[in-house]
Amino acid sequence: MEWWIFSDAFLITLFSFITVSISLNLEAGYTGIPNFGKHLFVFVGAFAAQGVGVRIAALIYEKLQPQAAQEALAQLRSMVPGATWSSLVHAAADVDANRIVVNNYLRPFFVSHVAAEALLLVTLLLVTVGLALFFGLIASYAALRLREEYLAILLLSFAELMVLVVFYQSQSLNGGNQGLWAITFTKDPVRFALVGSGVLAVIAYFYADRLANSPMGRAMRAVRDDEVAAEVFGRDIASIRLKVILISSVLAGLAGFFFIQNAALSTSLTFNRVIWTFLPWAMIILGGMANNLGAVVGTVVFLLAKRLFEYYQVQIAHLFHLGSASIAATLLPNIFIGVVMILTLYFLPQGILPEGPSRTVNFEEILAETSSEAGEAGGEESK
Amino acid sequence: MAIIPSLPYTLESIAYASALGLLSMGLSLTFATTRVANFAHADFAMVGSVVMLFLIDRFYYLHHGWGVFLTGSIVGGIFGGITGLLTYLIVLKPLADKGTSSLGLMIATFGIDIILMNLLTLILDTAHGVHIPKLIGASVSSYEPILSLRGYRVFGYTIVLPIAAVLLTVIFHLFLTRTKFGIAMRATIENPDLASVLGVNVNLVYMVSWFFSGFLAGVAGALMAFAFKGVDPAVSALIIVSVFAGSIVGGLESVYWGLIGGFLVGLVEKLGMTIINSIYRQYFVLHLGAPNVSLLNYEKLLSLGLVVIVLLYAPQGLAGVDWGRLARRLGLKKPVEGGG
Amino acid sequence: MPGEDIVRVEGLNAGYGRFHILFDIDLDVSRGEIFVIVGPNGSGKSTLLKTLFGLTKVYSGRILFEGHDITRMPPHARAKMGLAYLPQVGNVFSELSVAENLKMAGYTLDSSVLDEKIREVLEIFPFLKDKLNAKAKTLSGGQRQLLAMAMALIREPKIFMFDEPTAGLAPKAAQEVVDRILWLRRELGKTVILVEQNAKLALEIGDRAILLVSGRIAFKGKASELLSDKELGKRYLGLKG
Ligand SMILES: Nc1ncnc2c1ncn2[C@@H]1O[C@H](COP(=O)(O)OP(=O)(O)O)[C@@H](O)[C@H]1O
Ligand SMILES: [Mg+2]
Repeated sequence: MEWWIFSDAFLITLFSFITVSISLNLEAGYTGIPNFGKHLFVFVGAFAAQGVGVRIAALIYEKLQPQAAQEALAQLRSMVPGATWSSLVHAAADVDANRIVVNNYLRPFFVSHVAAEALLLVTLLLVTVGLALFFGLIASYAALRLREEYLAILLLSFAELMVLVVFYQSQSLNGGNQGLWAITFTKDPVRFALVGSGVLAVIAYFYADRLANSPMGRAMRAVRDDEVAAEVFGRDIASIRLKVILISSVLAGLAGFFFIQNAALSTSLTFNRVIWTFLPWAMIILGGMANNLGAVVGTVVFLLAKRLFEYYQVQIAHLFHLGSASIAATLLPNIFIGVVMILTLYFLPQGILPEGPSRTVNFEEILAETSSEAGEAGGEESK
Repeated sequence: MAIIPSLPYTLESIAYASALGLLSMGLSLTFATTRVANFAHADFAMVGSVVMLFLIDRFYYLHHGWGVFLTGSIVGGIFGGITGLLTYLIVLKPLADKGTSSLGLMIATFGIDIILMNLLTLILDTAHGVHIPKLIGASVSSYEPILSLRGYRVFGYTIVLPIAAVLLTVIFHLFLTRTKFGIAMRATIENPDLASVLGVNVNLVYMVSWFFSGFLAGVAGALMAFAFKGVDPAVSALIIVSVFAGSIVGGLESVYWGLIGGFLVGLVEKLGMTIINSIYRQYFVLHLGAPNVSLLNYEKLLSLGLVVIVLLYAPQGLAGVDWGRLARRLGLKKPVEGGG
Repeated sequence: MPGEDIVRVEGLNAGYGRFHILFDIDLDVSRGEIFVIVGPNGSGKSTLLKTLFGLTKVYSGRILFEGHDITRMPPHARAKMGLAYLPQVGNVFSELSVAENLKMAGYTLDSSVLDEKIREVLEIFPFLKDKLNAKAKTLSGGQRQLLAMAMALIREPKIFMFDEPTAGLAPKAAQEVVDRILWLRRELGKTVILVEQNAKLALEIGDRAILLVSGRIAFKGKASELLSDKELGKRYLGLKG
């Protein structure tokens, strides 16, 4: 084993996935919401740094540096006739123009002006949160109304259409099939991504752990476990599901925001269902559903395994007589993850770290609690 | 009038709709029997596509006969059916017997989806066929018979797919209504406990339904191979969206309505979007200065829209609509007395 | 061999998972009798029938059928031994036609034997002849019960277990179902276990009866005795005093 395992790119991926798994675990593990469209919610953060970020940064830049903006615009028009600065739609439509604007004008300026950069960062983080809330609201609209299977189908379909169709086909939204350069921060964006995703993962872990062991966490498990208990809660089911989806969406979006700092040029296909939905599902199932530490463990195990496939791709390709090593690095890990996930469901349905009996919801306890708290519900049922 | 789509395009749309009908019918079948929402269903179709590719490579290259359709459908269907059967026997049944929840089973099919998609890509990438590399890159549609109809070039598959859909539906209908086992299948769908008490081997019914579901998908995939620009297993990600849309529009638990739902979704996606696109270009772009983009790339949004409308207004899908009452409401039929 | 026990239940405790419903049930049913089970709603009548057919969890005790211990036998094996159970709901396939329902009833029979059986049953229930191609859901409630009975007859069981066959039926239809039950015993010599909400009706035609209250037997004896027991009748069965 060598130092590569702790390369920056690997750690950023690890931290981002920890946040995403934890957020999926809040939805799926604790509350029973089958979010099969997680990749869209991660992509939202990337969109905030790319399609939205470039436009906002350009606007701020034009306000603060009108002279330089004119100069940039002239260069831009030579590549994309009729480009206008303020919309930047055309800049976004051409990946070369976009690269020049971002890397030659926007980045150098913001990197050397700390106040402007801080303003931009806060704005884009708020945009991420706002977009996450927006898509989270759409998802919860469905989640409050649909049965499990329908919900899973709809969330997957919605996410796939957004990622594969809307954001991939439309050049102006996010660069379409060419992709866009994201707005990155500080002189050393990789370090920024590392620190940002790391801090986020730590916050996500402790926040989720506190949430899970609070009354809210117990309510979440009640919604998941027991129709009757959930009925006793009455209207609260809706608000619990809504809250969980919104919290999880924001966490996933922020993870995407920091992840894209290290993958500056990318298309929406970077956020496909295999990597950003199925893999997190496999992670929480292996680690143990409704167990935050389990989500972390599952994430580490799968990412290490994936990394090993990449590291030994040449040897593996040779072993299986594959034509190219890149096949061993991309296709085989996916097959491996799928197989391990199904074997986990069969041989280790509770995962490596099971939820544990003390943590499961106690129906009588809830009834007693709600009837003493609300003073109305559950009276006739708690015999 | 350019708003009305051309003849070949219309035929292609109907062929696509027929394929979706077969796919949605199969998806609804396994849902109705085993209550599993199968996220790997589009991959069963890709198995058929890959089989077709190999058949062209091995037997039909430079040989533009109609035989390719028949062989491809049968062999592709059988491979698809075996894939479905193995999915049930190796993965779903053992899990269900261990008491895995329906969510767990759904995730398991998600896993199958990932495995199959990557496995098929692997097979294509490492295939040592004579012509395979050429076939993967280009459209295989140049390896099928092409007709001339009213001065238009019409691809053979656009004729064959609707015929295959009708034929398979009729055969399946006869199976369900005329054979003892088919009746047992319908009985099991309605009440598995009662069926088993009467001596029906419910597990065998489930096995047959998974084989048949895979078979229908394999046939659809084999014939659809001619519509793709190069067979790419990753396409399943987009196909599954339309297949689910078709089944939900139809009602998810009704086989026949699944067929109709899939067909409808296919038509709406293709013909509906062309018409919308022509109107958009002729009026909005020309006269109102709307952005000059093609809406055709967004055809899948129509199926999602259809699903949302159905879920909001008829959650049971078209199967749950009381058509008699609807007709009376709309004044198409005289109200009937009593009835029950 | 009339008079001999066909079903015998000893010290039975049963329920659903951890929900213990039936407590210490002892009873025996003689060949050729109509054995009636009555009791208030939720007292465990349906659960008792399901337990006899192997559809619940037995904690202790045993069930004997013609002297064989069937306590742990799966349902379809009990069906083969000659038990027929007509559940309260879902005893026919409503989406299937009457003819298809009859075919399903004889699923395990040879097709030549099955055709013969179906002909026999149609002679017994002539109204079904006109309805062969109608879906079962288009039948009235009473007709559906009779269809379920016909389906059971095709398998020639030794004992019929009915769960509230007259529930929700108009008086005339209910009477027809009752007549058929009496006919089963009289003409074919079958044994019948009858669960009924309508206690008066059931006790009038029954030979012996038990009264279930909260999963325990509160009375066991002649049906006529229970019918005339004013105290129990008023308290549990809503019979006029
Ligand atoms: N599937 C089940 N799971 C748990 N409890 C049940 C189930 N079915 C019935 N019960 C309970 O068993 C008790 C007896 O029900 P049942 O046998 O249907 O009564 P009856 O037929 O006399 O009206 C009731 O308290 C009912 O709530
Ligand atoms: Mg009952």
